[in-house]
Amino acid sequence: MADVVGPGLIDQIRLVSWLRWRILRNSLRKKSRRLDLLGLVISGFFSAIFVAGVTVGFFLGTESLLEHQQEQFLGLLFLALFVWWQLFPILLAGFTPQFAFRSLLRFPLKLSAFYLIGMAYGLADSAALAALIWMTAMVAATLVAMPAAAPVMLLVCTMFAALNVTVERLLGAWVEKLLAKRRSREIFFSLFILAMISLQFLNPIMQRYGRTLLAAVRDWLPYLWLLPSSFAGDTVARAVEHQWAQAALKLGALAVYVALFTVLLWMRYSQLYSGEELSETAAPARREKRAVIAPSDANETLGFLPPQVLAVFRKELLYLKRNTFLFFGLLFPPMLILFFSVQFAGAHPTALKKGVSSDLFFPGMMAYLVLILIAPAYNNFAYEGKGIQTYFTSPTRFREILLAKNLVTVLLLFSEIVFCVALVGWRAGLPSTPVLCATLTGMIFSIVGQLTLANWSSLSFPRRMEFGKMQGQRNSGMSVLVLFGVQILFGGVSALILFSGRWTGSPWLPAEVFAVLALAAFAGYFSALDRFTELAEKKKEVLIDALCR
Amino acid sequence: MPEIAISTAKLTRRFGALTAVDGMDLQVESGQFFGFLGPNGAGKSTTIKMLTGLLAPSSGRMSLLGLDFSQHPIEIKRQIGVVPEGMGLFERLNAPEYLEFVGRMYGLDKATTHKRSDELLEFMQLADRSKTMIADYSHGMQKKLALAAAVIHGPRILFLDEPFEGVDALAAGALKELLARMTERGVTIFLTSHVLEIVERLCSHVAIIKKGQLVAQGSMEQLREGVPSVEGRTLTLEDIFLSVVGQGAERSQLEELSWLT
Repeated sequence: MADVVGPGLIDQIRLVSWLRWRILRNSLRKKSRRLDLLGLVISGFFSAIFVAGVTVGFFLGTESLLEHQQEQFLGLLFLALFVWWQLFPILLAGFTPQFAFRSLLRFPLKLSAFYLIGMAYGLADSAALAALIWMTAMVAATLVAMPAAAPVMLLVCTMFAALNVTVERLLGAWVEKLLAKRRSREIFFSLFILAMISLQFLNPIMQRYGRTLLAAVRDWLPYLWLLPSSFAGDTVARAVEHQWAQAALKLGALAVYVALFTVLLWMRYSQLYSGEELSETAAPARREKRAVIAPSDANETLGFLPPQVLAVFRKELLYLKRNTFLFFGLLFPPMLILFFSVQFAGAHPTALKKGVSSDLFFPGMMAYLVLILIAPAYNNFAYEGKGIQTYFTSPTRFREILLAKNLVTVLLLFSEIVFCVALVGWRAGLPSTPVLCATLTGMIFSIVGQLTLANWSSLSFPRRMEFGKMQGQRNSGMSVLVLFGVQILFGGVSALILFSGRWTGSPWLPAEVFAVLALAAFAGYFSALDRFTELAEKKKEVLIDALCR
Repeated sequence: MPEIAISTAKLTRRFGALTAVDGMDLQVESGQFFGFLGPNGAGKSTTIKMLTGLLAPSSGRMSLLGLDFSQHPIEIKRQIGVVPEGMGLFERLNAPEYLEFVGRMYGLDKATTHKRSDELLEFMQLADRSKTMIADYSHGMQKKLALAAAVIHGPRILFLDEPFEGVDALAAGALKELLARMTERGVTIFLTSHVLEIVERLCSHVAIIKKGQLVAQGSMEQLREGVPSVEGRTLTLEDIFLSVVGQGAERSQLEELSWLT
C-alpha cells in the first residue's frame, strides 16, 4: 500500500515554483541559452520601463477622472486592463515556452488543488503582474484624489482581478487545446501572420475611410455597458456619487460575471482533470485505400541535374508546401511592397506630399525583398530534424545538397521578384533603364554572394526549427549576427555602386560594375561548394546534435 | 579465406575526458548476422555511428568491404544501409515520398525506386498509410519505414540500431525472416539490441562491449567456451552477457530498496 501523505496546497504551489525555477536554471547551462537569458534581461529592462510608464498613466488618469468628476469614464481604464490581460498572453502563447501545466495531473492532486494552482499560475503571468501593478496605481490614485472611495476601488479591483485571471485561464485552456494539434496550430499562426500584415494597412485605410469607421464605432459604444469593465467602472462611479443601491447592483453584475466564468473554468479544468488527451500522435490517421504510387514527373524539366540534387530539390518543395508558416510568409514581402508603394510612391502617396522617384524607390524595394527572402537561407537545415542523418549516411556530397537547397531559394526569389517588379511597376512605375539593369544585376550579385555566406552559416551555426510552431523559432545568435553583417556589407556596397552612376555622370557604370561582381560571385559560389562538403564533414556532429535534439 | 566486411583497428572516440570507444579491434566477416551488445553507455551507438559515417573517430582506422572509410566514404556509403538511432526520417514527407527521396539519393533510377518502394511498403504493411505524414506515424511504423529505407538500394552491409524496438510481433517476425534471407544472400548485418533473446535467435556471431572496450567476440559456441558452464543446461546469451559484463551494481543494490518489495 502506498504510504503517501498528500502535501498541502501551499507545498504543492511551492514545489511547482521550484520546478519551474530548476527548469529555467538547468536550461541556462548551455551557452546559447545564456545568450537567450541576456536577451531576456534586456527585454525585461525595456518591459519594466513600459510597465512603469503605463503605471504613471493609470495613476494620473484615475486621479484626473476623479478630481474632475468624470468618474463615468473609469470603465474605459478597466476596459484597457481587460483587453491587455486577455490579449497579451494569447499573443505570447506562440512565442514563449509553455510550461506543461497539465503534466501536473499525474501527481495525486485534487481537482480543487489543480484549480487553485491554475489560478496561481494565472496570477504569476507577466501580463497579470503588469495589470496588478496598474490596478494598484488606480487604488493609490483614488486614495490621493478621493480617499473615501478607495475601499470601493480596492474591492472592485480585487473582483476585477479575479474575473480577469479566471477568463485568462479559460481562454488559455482553449488556446492550448487549439495549439495542441499541428494542423490547427498552423492555421492559427497563419491567420495570426495575415492579421499582423493586415495591420500595416490600418493607417492607409483609416486615412481613406476613417470618418465612416469612427461613426460606426460610436454607434457601437453604448453596448459597452454590458462588459464587466463597465460594471467595474460604474460601481466606483456610483459609489463616488453616493448612489449605493446602484453601486451594489453594478457590483452584483460584476460578481455574476466572476461566478459565471468560475463555473466555466471549473468545467474546463474538470475535463482536463478527467484525462482529456491533447497529444498530436493520439489521433490515428484514418485507414486509406491502397494508394497507387506514381513516379513524380514534377521535375522532369530539371532532368539535367544529378538525381541527388533533384531528390533534395523535390523534398524542399514538398517541405515548403507543408510548412504553412513559411508558405504564408511568402505573402509578406509583396504585401509590404504594396503597402510601401501606397505610402511613399506613385502620384498620390498617403504618407508624403510627393512620391519618392522610381529610380530610388525601385532599388530600395528590391533590396528589401532580397533582405527578407534570403534570411531563411542562413539556417538552411533548420527543418531537417533527424533527417539530417540521412544526408550523412547516404552517398551524397554536401555540394549537391546545398546546390538543391539554393536552387529552391533562387526559385522562390525569382518568383517573388518577378511578381514584385510587376507590382512596383504598376503602383510606382519602373525606373530608368540603366537603374533597372543596375538593380537587377546588383540583385544577382547580392543573392549569389549571400548564398555562399549563407551556406557557411547554415553549416556552422545550425538551429532546429519545427513546423507549425512560433515558440523559439529563430536562428542561432551567431547566424543572426552573420546575417546582419553580410546584409549591411552587401547593402552598403550596392548603395555606393548605385550612387556612383549619379556621382560620375555615367548612368551605365553601376550595371557594369554589378555585372563584373555578379560573375565573381558565381565563381566564388561554385568554388566554395566543394569546401562546404569538407566543412559539413567537420561540422557533422554540430549539425546532428543541433538538429536531432 | 572469407571476405572481411567490417574491420576496425584501434578505433577510438573521445568526448572531452570521456573515452566512449577505446581502441576497438573488430572483425566481421561477410554474410554474418552480427550482434553487437553492451550495457547502457558502453559505446554501442558511438561505434555504429562511426561505422556509418555519422561520427568521426578520434583515432584508429576502419574499413568496410575492403575500403578505407576515410579515403572512400562515398563508395562505402553506396553499399551500406543504416537505421540510425533516431531513425533519420524526414517527418514531413509521407512514406512513398521518403522512399523515393532515399532511393534517388542512393542513385537508383526513378522506375526502380518506384517499384521497390511499392514492394517495400506492401511488405512493411504501410501501403495503406501512404498518404499519412511520417510525423503522424506511430513509433513502430516509423521503425518499419526506416528499415525499408535502409534496404531500398540493396546494401551489402546493413547497420541496425535497435531495429525491433516498438515493432509489433507480426511485423517483427516478417522482418526477422527478411533479414535472415538477406544474410543467406551474403549481406552482412550488424545489429545492436538490448533484447538478448532476439540476438541469440538471429545472430551467428556476437561481440560484447563494456566501457568502450571489446570484452568478447566470436560465434555463440566460441563465447560459451569462454564462460564457466552451468551444470545441466546450455548457457544462454543472457548467461554469457551477465558473466562477461558482470551482474552490475543494480542487483546488489536491490536490498537497499526493500521498501519496494
